[in-house]
Amino acid sequence: MQTKTIVDVFVDGARKGWNVGISSILPNVLMAFALIQILKVTGLLTILGKVFGPVMALFGLPGEAVTVLMGAWLSMGGGIGVAASLYTGKILSATHVTILLPAIILMGAQIQYMGRLLGTAGVQTRYYPMLFGISVMNAVIAMLIMRFVA
Amino acid sequence: MSEDPKKSSIVEDLKVPWYGYVALILAIVFFSGIFAKKAGWVAAFDFNTINGAFGTMKDAAKATFAGQGGYGARAGFLFALGLIPAVMLALGVVEVIDHLGGLKAGQKLLTPILRPLLGIPGIAGLALVTSLQSTDAGAGMTKMLRETDYITEKEKTVFCAFQFSAGGTVTNYLSSGAALFPFLTVPIILPLVVIFVMKIFGANVMRLYLQRFAKED
Repeated sequence: MQTKTIVDVFVDGARKGWNVGISSILPNVLMAFALIQILKVTGLLTILGKVFGPVMALFGLPGEAVTVLMGAWLSMGGGIGVAASLYTGKILSATHVTILLPAIILMGAQIQYMGRLLGTAGVQTRYYPMLFGISVMNAVIAMLIMRFVA
Repeated sequence: MSEDPKKSSIVEDLKVPWYGYVALILAIVFFSGIFAKKAGWVAAFDFNTINGAFGTMKDAAKATFAGQGGYGARAGFLFALGLIPAVMLALGVVEVIDHLGGLKAGQKLLTPILRPLLGIPGIAGLALVTSLQSTDAGAGMTKMLRETDYITEKEKTVFCAFQFSAGGTVTNYLSSGAALFPFLTVPIILPLVVIFVMKIFGANVMRLYLQRFAKED
């Protein structure tokens, strides 16, 4: 095996980071910012905020935060992007973002991982609803925990 | 000049669903700019409105290169560009730790506690450490463990419950999650600890469920 210096190894890792950033994070974040812009100009963001206000208040969050969780369910990058967009738009505060971060990761990208993880590992489909439920429950409990430490 | 028979047959066979025409009309509207000056929900059909604006350096003391007051796709692009150094740095360091045997050390420490923690055998340690880096690699190794009968069907399901919530935990937290690190009101390790606690908790909910309701495989 060829010996690599630590510098080479670091650069390899940094290159992976560049690839993740350019091919995954940037398109997802851009999509999320565009989506939030659409929700804003159509007024749907305000409506979502009002409808989900009471539920999200349990976690110390404004109703609009529900869009972060919806986005996360499809892709983690999407959820993160939505949160960042709402933060730069001053709809979410730093505390709100702190409450949301573990939840975004815990219930993130489940549609993708259904195929990439559960499908690959051959988990019996009868357990799928339970597995989805556990991830959402994990996210909910995490938001309650974060509410008290954020 | 005779017409290319191949070409004409392509034109004849071209079937367009009705929504194809709707999409085309919407695209023309989106790029035409006819709603550029309109307020209200129709503004969502204007390319420039959704493309947004870069922020400006209103307050040089506070503004980053992304500026302040940007919105839409442009603001998102600069924001995402600003994240990439953190991701490159984080993944570079993870790679070095892996190279130095840090992940093997993690696996070794983990092996004896896997049975009490998740009810799965220590041999799954490598798959667990791998799953924190890559969802796909973890899934592949889990499948292998089952096929070679190192774990039972129940153990596999519990293990997958652990992996499914917050898949690729460390990589995703340090790449996607890094976007939000600058705004956190707590040290960045804390949300990660909460994530791990919940992953273990969730897997144990699955473990209890299987113990109670599933027949032995």
